[in-house]
Formats: sequence, structure tokens, C-alpha cells
Amino acid sequence: MTDTQALVAVSELSRTFDVSKPWLNRIIERETKKYLRAVDDLSFVIRKGETFALVGESGSGKSTVAKIVVGLLPPTTGHILIEGVDLADVSRVAELRKIRRRIQMIFQDPFASLNPRWRVQKIVAEPIRAFGLEADDAATTRRVGELLSVVGLDPRDGFKFPHEFSGGQRQRICIARALASKPDFIVCDEPTSALDVSVQAQILNLMKDLQDEFGLTYLFISHDLSVVRHMANRIGVMYLGRVVEIAEAKMLFKAPKHPYTRMLLDAVPDLEMTGRAHQQIEGEVPNPISPPAGCTFHPRCPFANERCRTEIPAAIERADSLIACHGVEEGRLD
Amino acid sequence: MSNHSVPNPVVSTQKPQGWLARAIDSDVFYSFRQSKLVMLAAIVTVLFFLMALLAPWIALQNPFDVANLDLMNSLNPPAWHPDGSWRFPLGSDDQGRDVLSAIMYGSRISLAVGFASVIFAGVMGISLGLLAGYVGGMTDTVIMRIADVQLTFPAILIALLIDGTVAGLFPGLNRENSAFYVLVLSIGLSFWVQYARTVRSSVLVEKNKEYVQAARLIGLRPLTIMVRHVLPNVLGPVLVIATINLALAVITEATLSFLGVGIPPTQPSLGTLIRIGNNFLFSGEWWITMFPGIALALLVLAVNLLGDWLRDALNPKLR
Amino acid sequence: MSTPLLSVRDLVVEFPTRHGALTAVDRISFDIAAGEVLGVVGESGAGKSLTGAAIIGLLEPPGRIASGEVYLQGQRIDQLPASEMRSIRGKRIGMIFQDPLTSLNPLYRIGQQLVETIQTHSALRTAQARERAIELLSEVGIPAPETRIDAYPHQFSGGMRQRVVIALALAGEPSLVIADEPTTALDVSVQAQIIALLKRLCRDHGTAVMLITHDMGVIAEAADRVAVMYAGRIAEIGPVRDVVKAPKHPYTVGLMGSIPSIDSEHTRLVQIPGAMPRLTAIPQGCSFNPRCTDVFEKCRHQEPQPRTVGTADVACWLYDGATK
Repeated sequence: MTDTQALVAVSELSRTFDVSKPWLNRIIERETKKYLRAVDDLSFVIRKGETFALVGESGSGKSTVAKIVVGLLPPTTGHILIEGVDLADVSRVAELRKIRRRIQMIFQDPFASLNPRWRVQKIVAEPIRAFGLEADDAATTRRVGELLSVVGLDPRDGFKFPHEFSGGQRQRICIARALASKPDFIVCDEPTSALDVSVQAQILNLMKDLQDEFGLTYLFISHDLSVVRHMANRIGVMYLGRVVEIAEAKMLFKAPKHPYTRMLLDAVPDLEMTGRAHQQIEGEVPNPISPPAGCTFHPRCPFANERCRTEIPAAIERADSLIACHGVEEGRLD
Repeated sequence: MSNHSVPNPVVSTQKPQGWLARAIDSDVFYSFRQSKLVMLAAIVTVLFFLMALLAPWIALQNPFDVANLDLMNSLNPPAWHPDGSWRFPLGSDDQGRDVLSAIMYGSRISLAVGFASVIFAGVMGISLGLLAGYVGGMTDTVIMRIADVQLTFPAILIALLIDGTVAGLFPGLNRENSAFYVLVLSIGLSFWVQYARTVRSSVLVEKNKEYVQAARLIGLRPLTIMVRHVLPNVLGPVLVIATINLALAVITEATLSFLGVGIPPTQPSLGTLIRIGNNFLFSGEWWITMFPGIALALLVLAVNLLGDWLRDALNPKLR
Repeated sequence: MSTPLLSVRDLVVEFPTRHGALTAVDRISFDIAAGEVLGVVGESGAGKSLTGAAIIGLLEPPGRIASGEVYLQGQRIDQLPASEMRSIRGKRIGMIFQDPLTSLNPLYRIGQQLVETIQTHSALRTAQARERAIELLSEVGIPAPETRIDAYPHQFSGGMRQRVVIALALAGEPSLVIADEPTTALDVSVQAQIIALLKRLCRDHGTAVMLITHDMGVIAEAADRVAVMYAGRIAEIGPVRDVVKAPKHPYTVGLMGSIPSIDSEHTRLVQIPGAMPRLTAIPQGCSFNPRCTDVFEKCRHQEPQPRTVGTADVACWLYDGATK
């Protein structure tokens, strides 16, 4: 997908964690080194102004991807390109610093995202000061007040401490901090998973409004398909570190191709009370340290054949979508 | 900036409070007011501090200025004894020194050594703990193994070691001047490990929290993040350790002085006073060793009680 | 109408603090019929978990039941001494907690824990209890239960552990199971499995369920009736189909509108302004009034009592005959 409008291009990204026991234990218990392949050969592109969602259950590697894209974790192999500049390219230090300002992250836990000892004013002002975006303290304070208003808080709230706010309000403060450096690209790692449903609605609406107002691009990580349906333009489905399907949001929900996507959609609770019967779901996500051979989904897949048990499916890219499934490739699925 | 998703801004209705208002209103201060014993302990501690601080002005005599002493006043019993007088409320020793004044001046030295060693141990322990916890890897392993080795040596032994080493390295050194620093160094070196370990485990927890990741995201240097973000959040337990350590430091100094390797008798601390008085215990002049002993016990008890209360008051799980 | 299995009348749960007593559950009343699944849904701070804990006598001090009554099969249980409450727990009321990791003792094999529970509530000998345990494990869908019974909790995955917890809850053949957020810590696909399991088992054993959750989707799938809680009071209670498709209380309306749905487009989600009030600042009158779009004067001063409107009971002045 060589899209000239790509803001973010992830290519062949892999990340392996060494989860072996300490050296002495291994000697005594005669164990080999153990590796966890959290992300395996991941490639996707995010266009400017769109919301790209990564959906998956636990062990899918989506949070790891978020951390790598933002630069908190280095990849084991593969590249992250932001507007053509490789994040790992150490020679272009000045450009990288500029790019760093333009990427921000909103985290899942509103209680751990804010330093409990700092006042809100200082928290939101920190990116402004770090990047030298305002001339002096007075200008910084004014800008912090603006940012707090933008996210629906009172500028006077800057004087308070994080523990004086509710979960939803704290998440607003996190959003204000993320906006402080005037970013183009924000990675949102399950931003509403820890919030109540009505508060989630406020935050999601706020995020959409901000996207329209400031022309933001989002990488939206979530396990909740309904939220993703509401927010995303394009969606990537991950399973055990690999991406199994990427499609435009409407298409994914109307005509999911990969058996795992279908299973996920079927598992979503029936709020419309249609009384639809659920397909029997088999098994659980296996241990990522020792994944099944071949297609990692094959133990749970109703369409698995011999090839699925031995060969990892390659990603097939069509018009605007991607699918990694032998069954689809062979036309076995309806 | 108008027309945003929330029609009425979400304003918290409480007024923001300054730090003093918050402190008075806090649960910690409330628990303090509830316990009579702790308030008593606090009063005793404060009295000791004041006594030590103001000794030159409130003591009846400066017992360590030789000019004040008169051998004719030696070995007076305490004031309530038929042979005693109110010029020497707690009696006098063999040199004619007023025991009460000696206690006041002695507390100065004891508390000075106590505070200095706690600060030394604290600074060293917190820095090393912070470093070990945040940087991790080999740095962490090295620091923690040194700490483990350190713990196998009792404080007294370390103090003796250092004292002997210093005496050997600097044979011409006047013990009177160097004793204080040697003591602070020895006691500090014995106690830093506790701080380091506690801080390190707190750092390990905080390091993974999202606010630290947010700081890394902005591109701040690790040292900046350690000091500005992580440090304020790991200092909580340190206060409790420091309080209890103060009592321990005073006792350790007293022990060392009693053994003769602490503060010399020319500017005695409480421990030295006890040692001096020990010689007279069996000849009947019990007050010379008893009263400094009681003073030491009171001080240590009060500080320990304070430390215990502080630990329970600051423990969110017990509230 | 036969006596309901569980009957809660005007239950009040309080937390005494140095600033005064905080009311976390404020006079709620509901019934659960035998074999029925009642969902108790609400956001965090609504008091739903406390209600469950109060019924089964597991309120953490200083929380306490300040007033009200709880009847199990006609017998009053909220004032029973601890020893009698212990025999009710497990035998007549089972409990499923949220986190399967901490619900099971990591040091004991699950077989030991199951056998212990079974023997506490029945006169079976160890060998028979073990057989019963294997039966239970197979009923909850653990493959190869004869071997798995000797495994430790950490050797199971999250969903499997929750199945073991369900087996434990059903071991004493209780007539009521209180499930507090049983699927919150699980993946979406596993969640669906567990809900289906719970429904099937309770139907087969005739067990009633009090299903406490913040997830309306779980309620829609599993419950027969649902009680919507807000700030310690029940806003609306009725058959699940009616409450979900045609909510009456403004809070329920707002709640249903704010849930994103698979079937909808990129429309704006309904949002209820503000947040649930803290226990120290519950508004006078109807506790929802500062956030209500249909508020009028009476709402600010008088607390509405539940009134029957169609198939549901709603506590809202909009449905008071006099003002409507």
C-alpha cells in the first residue's frame, strides 16, 4: 500500500521479548531460553486525518504496537516511518525531534496517567515547556487555560491535583496534555476502557470533535468492537501478534472475511434484543509464548484444514483491504 | 473555541486549597489528634529538640567549660536527697559537672549525630535506590549486591572498622575533631541500605505507570524524569524509615560512645555520659549514669512511637 | 404469586466517617423469583456491588446495613449471627466474584477447593465429593476433568478459571447465585462463552441469579429482568426487553443512548452531561436532577418513589400521574 498520503507507515514490524528465566535458574532447571513474539510481521498504513483502529483481545500485541509506533519501545525488526522519516534513523536527530513533538499518546488508565504530586497546570504545561512552544510563563499559563477549556474543563481547575477529579475528567486532562504540543498524530491506547459508559460517550464525542477541529490523525487501540465501529475509518484485526484482516470500517462489519473477525463480531452482545443465536465459540486465546504452528488461529477455526495447521498464511492485499487466511485465499469460505 | 461536546463545562465545585489547609484537614492530622499517646510522644520529642537547641541559654552551667567547674562541688547527690542542693538538680559528677546541664549538652551531640547520619544515609540510600530502580540492568544488580553484602555487617562492626581505619590512616588526627564525622559516616553507611531497598521497590512500581511513559514520550532525559517525576512519589515511606532511623542512630551512637569508640569525654554525648557514670555505679553515685540513661531511653521511645504512628497513619490500607 | 426467593425491602447501606454517615445504598427494594435472572446494572459508584455484598453478609467494615430487611425464602437473613450466615453462604446463596485470579487460592489444587466446599455443605465422604467435583467440572465445560481436577489455578486460563469459580459457586446447590461482574476481566469471546454457560446452568439447576454488572450488553444477553441503579437508588426496574428497547427513566434513556452499537453508523453518541455524584455530594430530591434533560422544579426538592408504568417500575416525577 504505497499511499502518498500516508502519515504513518508501519512495515514488517516485529517485536520479541525475552521472557526466559534468569541464567542460574535455566542452568539448574535445564530450560532453554523462552521468547515471546508479541508482534509478528505487522504492516499497515495510516492516512492523514483518518482514524485507524487496531482491534484484538488479550495477547494480540496491540498495546505493544502502540508503544512501538510512539517510540517508547524499539522494534526488534521492521520500520516505522512518519512522513517518510524512519523513527530508528539516528542520523536525522533534528528531524526526529520535530517529529517527536507531533506524535502524542493517550493512555488507558486515567489514574496512573497523571503524576499525583503535580498540579494539573504543571502537567499540561510540561510538553509546552519541553518543546519551548511558548515565549514565557504567562503565555504558557494562558495556553494551558485554553487547552483545559477545549477539553471541557475550567481553566481554574489547573490549580488542583489529579486526585480531585473523576476518571472522565482525568482523561480530559490527559487529552489536554496530549494536545499541548500541537500534535498531528495521536495514539490512543484503550482510552475509554476504564471509564463508565456514559463518560465514555463524552470522551469519544470529544475526541471526534477535536479531530475535526484540529485535523488530527488517530491510531485507536481497543478491544471493544462497538467503540471501534463508532470511531474508526479503517480497522485492523489482530490475533496473537499478527494482523489477520484490515478493511474499511463499514465493510468489516457488513462482510467480515476472516473467521476470527466473524467470531469476534458474533460474540458482541445483542443490545438490539434481536434474540439472535450465537455461534458456539471454541476455546480461548492460547499462550503467546508457545503459539500453535501454522496459522495461530487454526485450533479454534471451524474451517481449518491441513495447510492451516502447518503454513502461516501470507497477507493478501486487495483494493483497500488485507486478509491473511488460507480459507479465503482458496475460496473455501462462503 | 466554542461549540464543544460538553454543553456545561465539568467544573469541580470545591475551591482549590493551599498546602496548609490541606494538611490540617487531612486524615493524617486527624489520626494524630485521636491518639493521646502519640501526642505525648510528639511533645516529649519536641521538648528534647528545644532543650538541645537552647542548651547554651537554659542550662544552669556549661559543664564542658573547665573554668566553670569547681572540684568542691563534685559528687553531689540529686536535689531531693538530704545532702543535695538545687544548684545541681540531678546531682553532679566527679568533676563537679551538673548532671542536668550535661544531659542538655549531651542531647545536642546525640541529636546532631542522629540527624546528620540519617540525612547522610537518606541521601545516599535514596539516590542509589532511585538509580537502581530506574536504570535497572547491571546497575541495579551491582548496587543491590553491594547492599546485600553491606547488610551482613552489623553497624557496630562497621563503625569500629571505619574508626580503626581512620585512626590508622591519619595517625596525627585529633580524635576530638574527627569523632563526629567518623561517627556520622559509620552510622550512615550502616543504614543506607534500608532506604535504597524501599525506594527501589517503589521506583519499580512507578516506573511502569503511564505518567512516566508520558514524560518519556516528550523526550525528557532519564535523570530529569527520575528526579522530577518519580522521586516525589517514592518519598512517602522514606519519612517513616527516617523517623525510626533517628532513634536507631541515637542508640547506635550511644553504644559506640559507651564502648569508647564514639564521642570522646571532652564533649560527651548521652552515651559517653553513661559510660563515665558507669564507673561510679557501684560506689553509690548512681545518679551520674542513671539520669543520662533515662533521658536516652525517653528520647528513643518517643521518636519510635512517633515513627510507628506515622507508618500506620500513612498506610492507606489501614485507613 | 408465590413468595419470591429473595426479597429486599428498603435496604440502606451506610459508611460512617468522621464527616458523618455516607449513604451508599439508599432504600432500595426488589424481588428475585425462583429461577429468574435479575440484572443489576449501574455505573461505578451506583452501589450495586455493595447491595450484593450486603445481601450475602460480606460488607467490609465500617460499611454496615443501617436499616431495611432481606428475606431469603421468607426467612429474614440480614440480622443473622455470623455462624448462621456462614451456613447460608455457599449452601443457599452462592457468590461469584469479578477476578478469577484472586477468587481461587493459588496454593491449593482446584480439586481440593471444590471438595472442601462440597463437604462443607453436604454429608458426602471425600471419595464421593471428589466424584461430584468431577461432575461439576465437566458440567462447566472443563475438558478432561478427571486430570484437570488436580491442577493448580495458575495452570488454567482466565476463562477456565472463571468456569471453576462458577463450579465452586454451584457446588453447594444454592437456590440463588450472586455474580458480581463475572465477565469484566475476560476477553470478549470468552465473555460470551461464560454468559452462555451461566444461563444454561441456572436454567438446568433452577438457580436464580443476581447478575451485577456495568455492561448493558451482558444484561441484554443474560437477564430476564433488570434493575438500573443510580447513586444508590433504583431508577428503573422491569423486564429486560422493555427496559433496553423502551427505557422510561431519563437516566436509562441516556445510558442506552450512550452505548455505541455495532449496527449504528458514525452518529454522535448521546451523552449525559456531568458525572455520577460522589457519596458526599448527593443532590437533594431526585439524585439525577442536575444532569436530567427533562428536569422540573419538583425534581429538585422531592425524591421520587417507584411507580408502576406499564411493565416496569420507574422512580421519576415524569411518570407521576399528578404532574404529567
